[in-house]
Amino acid sequence: MRKKAKRDLTIEQQLAGGPIDLPFLALVMLLTAVGLIMVLSASYASAMYDLDPDVITKGDPLYYFKRQFGFAVLGVIAMFIISKIDYQHFRWMSVFVLGASIVLMLLVFVPYFGRSGGGALRWVKIGPIRFQPSEIAKVGVILFFAAGLSKRTGQVNLDRRWSKRTLTGRMAARLDRVGLLELVPYGAVLAVVLGIIAMQHHMSAMVLIVVAAASVLFVSGVSLGWFALGGALVSGVLVWIITQTEYMTARITIWRDPFSDPKGGGFQPIQSKIAIGSGGLLGTGLGNSRQKYLFLPEEHNDYIFAIVCEEMGMVGACVVMALFALLIIRGYWLALHARDRFGTLLIVGVTSLTAFQTFFNIGVVTGFLPPTGISLPFFSYGGTALAIQLAEMGMVLSVSRQIAAPKAE
Amino acid sequence: MQDPNRKPRRSEGKNNRSLFRRTIFLMAVLGVGMFLPLAAQLYQLQIVEQEDWEKRAATQQTKSVSVAANRGTIYDREGRAMAMSATVYKLILSPMGLYGSVDKKKYESTTAYEQALYDLRKTVVDGIVDLFGYDEERLWKRVERIDSGYEVLYFELEEEDAEKARAFISEKKLAAALQLTPSSKRYYPFSSIGSHILGYMSQNKTSGDNKVGAQGIEALYEDMLSGELGRVVTSKNGWGMEMPSGYDMYFDAQDGYDVRLTLDERIQAMLEQTLAEGIATYDIQKGAFGLAIDPKTGAVLAMASTPDFDPNHYDQIINEELKRELEAVAEEKGKDSEEYGAAVSAARNKQWRNRTVSDLYEPGSVFKPITVSMGLEEGIISLEDHYYCGGSKTVGGWPIGCHKKTGHGDQTLTQAVMNSCNVALMDIGEKIGAETFWSYLEDYGLTETTGIDLNGEENSYLWDEDTFKGIYGASSLATGSFGQTFKVTPIQMITAFAAVINGGHLLQPYLVQSVTDQEGNTAFYHETQEVRQVISESTSDKVRDILEQVVGTPKGSGHNASQIGYRIGGKTGTSEKRDEDTGDVMCSFMGFAPVDDPQVLVLLVYDSPKRSAPQSNNIASGTYISGGNIAAPMAGKLIAGILDYMGVERQYSADELSGVDTMMPRVVSMELTVAKGQLQNQGFECRTVGTGNIVTHQVPAAGAYIPGGSEVVLYLGEEAPPEQVEVPDLAGLSPAAAKGRLEDQGLFMKASGVVDYTDPNVVMAAQTLDPGTMVSPGTVVEVRFVSSIEYGDQ
Repeated sequence: MRKKAKRDLTIEQQLAGGPIDLPFLALVMLLTAVGLIMVLSASYASAMYDLDPDVITKGDPLYYFKRQFGFAVLGVIAMFIISKIDYQHFRWMSVFVLGASIVLMLLVFVPYFGRSGGGALRWVKIGPIRFQPSEIAKVGVILFFAAGLSKRTGQVNLDRRWSKRTLTGRMAARLDRVGLLELVPYGAVLAVVLGIIAMQHHMSAMVLIVVAAASVLFVSGVSLGWFALGGALVSGVLVWIITQTEYMTARITIWRDPFSDPKGGGFQPIQSKIAIGSGGLLGTGLGNSRQKYLFLPEEHNDYIFAIVCEEMGMVGACVVMALFALLIIRGYWLALHARDRFGTLLIVGVTSLTAFQTFFNIGVVTGFLPPTGISLPFFSYGGTALAIQLAEMGMVLSVSRQIAAPKAE
Repeated sequence: MQDPNRKPRRSEGKNNRSLFRRTIFLMAVLGVGMFLPLAAQLYQLQIVEQEDWEKRAATQQTKSVSVAANRGTIYDREGRAMAMSATVYKLILSPMGLYGSVDKKKYESTTAYEQALYDLRKTVVDGIVDLFGYDEERLWKRVERIDSGYEVLYFELEEEDAEKARAFISEKKLAAALQLTPSSKRYYPFSSIGSHILGYMSQNKTSGDNKVGAQGIEALYEDMLSGELGRVVTSKNGWGMEMPSGYDMYFDAQDGYDVRLTLDERIQAMLEQTLAEGIATYDIQKGAFGLAIDPKTGAVLAMASTPDFDPNHYDQIINEELKRELEAVAEEKGKDSEEYGAAVSAARNKQWRNRTVSDLYEPGSVFKPITVSMGLEEGIISLEDHYYCGGSKTVGGWPIGCHKKTGHGDQTLTQAVMNSCNVALMDIGEKIGAETFWSYLEDYGLTETTGIDLNGEENSYLWDEDTFKGIYGASSLATGSFGQTFKVTPIQMITAFAAVINGGHLLQPYLVQSVTDQEGNTAFYHETQEVRQVISESTSDKVRDILEQVVGTPKGSGHNASQIGYRIGGKTGTSEKRDEDTGDVMCSFMGFAPVDDPQVLVLLVYDSPKRSAPQSNNIASGTYISGGNIAAPMAGKLIAGILDYMGVERQYSADELSGVDTMMPRVVSMELTVAKGQLQNQGFECRTVGTGNIVTHQVPAAGAYIPGGSEVVLYLGEEAPPEQVEVPDLAGLSPAAAKGRLEDQGLFMKASGVVDYTDPNVVMAAQTLDPGTMVSPGTVVEVRFVSSIEYGDQ
């Protein structure tokens, strides 16, 4: 197919055909590449010993790597395709993505499609592909919030919207003035999504969706008071849960002192710390982890960063963290320079999601935070999650195409 | 229209500024701030706590197999290995490895998998039970402990058995389930000989699978003997299996040092034999103990106490008496009963106890030479003194009796010691005075442990010092001067006595002469440790002379210790046990030889000979219960044995010389007169059998050694000696009668013990060949004689 001449394109089309942000792309590709190498190294032993009862590796040490690599290729292709899409289309797509994710999440509970993993129903299997619909829900929520909140102009004539003559009108006007009313639709969407995820007992996904959504709300200019209120509410609930439920209290105790239950709940945290600590400054060298030999559970999933620390040492771990930091900073930089509010909010949502996920994962692996099952973007084994992450990056890159080039001096 | 009073809540510009600011805020917090605590946490783990985690990692990731260091050998003074190590193997079962080696995924059904697992376990169990007879039920229990990777089935498989196990493992491909690792086993070639000194090896709470020295030299020199364990470190995965990218590190084992003892295995064996023989001969009920030391250095040549044990099987009861007692308990209460368990443990402790250092006893009259040495050294008494014994002495208003109720009458100092007279000794003690007496106790080392290189040394139990020296101490001083009412350990007693006879030097007794590494470099060598000089050489000479009289004179209470050709000095003792109301006594003898240059000092103590009747002074066989009648003959024989072994030449008097072994010349086919003449020149008597002028046969054969003065038999004419003759019963005979009885049969007598052809009190005590035994003519029968005088020596 012949490429259209530039003059035949609309302004929108011209804008959408701009150059993507190369530093951001480079960081994404670099992290994906390093992540793949680490999956290869970390999964080698458990693939060889065929540890996971749900997976049949047939003793092929490259089993996990091959699959991850395949998804990475798919993900990169998806990323480029998505980056080609004019992101203005994401506005209308957002509703469908959100809707689809909700449907898929409900599919989890349908016997034929639903798959359990780690003791909870949170997977869906369609054809050969097995994935967590909650991953899509994160994108859906971010898109929906960004699209909706980008229309907040600030020039709302409140007096015209509500009748002052009726009591309800006056009440509504007051609520609108303090900014509650505009939050209602978002709150409702969030409640539905979180409710479904709660039924899957997927605490970590809930946390991530909440913080991503909160980031978008925060940047969109919602009054800080609501954040204070929300924050207070969440902390209150957390404190209540931690102190009042035995299960959580025990988890916190183990987090404070893993050696109180070294063979049970403390095992994984201890093994993780042994891996990290024994890495020292320079590490044991790539591929030389010993903790991956059946000591550290989930060494190629949630705890892959411990293997990074063990093999690459503190230096390597800091380099990886620096890459993440640069990606995040570059992401927000793009958000600041986006062509419109929607672009900004979209990038903020995606970047914040990645940032929080990184923080929570590394925090848990290093024992800085209590254990929850959050994977490390680009690193943790999980093909569909990686592909979806790369697709999200594609959205960011799509927005980056429409950033006006700095004027030449 | 807008309300002019109300500012617009949100303006476009303000809104954009807020968006900008808030994005920057997120950028700062999430892009930078968030990573700071994470980096700090990494710093904490990887830099600050790195060593700690590394150690934990190493602990779980590596399998450290220890390589036993060769434990040093314990030699006796002549270089005989008394404790040595050899390689044996530990057979280790890993139920976890076995469980892991059956791959669940390879089986279609759970039942098939479980069957396969059961089959493999059965292979292991059946194999081990077949090969080594392991308890099947117990093994099944152990093989099912899947969380255990280390079940030691056998600690000490010898090479032969290990080979069988190895073949079994490789044949059935059980390397994941069974492993053999080399370890080391201790062997004691001389079994129970010297067991209390050597000690034994056992596991304890901290040693884990390894055995460590538990007693004696093995325990005291554990660090030096054991060397340092070597290790092979291999990497392992989370299931305890070797890693594919495994690495090995070797740390060489450092072999232990060799220890050379002052102990002499032969002397030790003689001492133990003497104890056993005495126990059997004299109905000894509570065992015996004894010591032999070199009085000039303090080196312990032998040290024994009964019951003892076999360090090869240190927990087995080998003493017959204890075995009988245990069987009685087992019969009454059953072998599973608590009482039986307690009895076994008590019996073990009894066997392990080295009474010569850990037990106290009242030395009794054996102590008297020490009191005498004090008096002589202080110049308070002299050899010319006379003492009168009327049977008792009143001290502090109470009479304290002598063992001879009728009294010894007038006696010189030497006679007083020979008679072992308590009254004379009380007089001497009184002259010395409590202050001086006490300070000599201190000087002789009786107030503190000797510091011998053995664990578990006890200290003496004396009177309260102030009371002893005070106005109420008179009776204590009186009884103390003849060795009663206080207790010392045998090693303290012999150490002090050595100082009395060696010129006054109190020496620290010791057992370890030297320690050398495997290259032969000496790490430690014991130089004689003189603690102090207690008495002068001349005093020591005087006491030695007195003590020679005790043994050398027929009336001396130690006469039964006398041996032809050796000048033996010594002192007997029959000590009461004042803390028991059994009426039991301890019969002891402390002797040394040669008197002019003591090479060996021996202490023998027999605990509680059985009285024939409650008030009787004799044992069932009639022997009078006293040190002089029970311990002295055994000690004399032992001392002679030791000196013979040491190569100390016997010095014969003219009389004794005639009894020295002489070679029988060939006289067959000689004319009778010529033969007779030649035999007489050699000091032989002769009698003839048959008629004729030419000697046709002779008994003994030419070249045989028989005691000089023996009557040889010459056969003339047709007569020939009989093929076999019967050994006669010599019981109760005097030396002369015994000699005649034997020679009538064409046998010869080699006399030992108290050989006095003129003293009517001397009777046969033992003969080497039992009566009725058929032997060829000319055989020499050794006969030991004792004096049957009832030596009171309390």
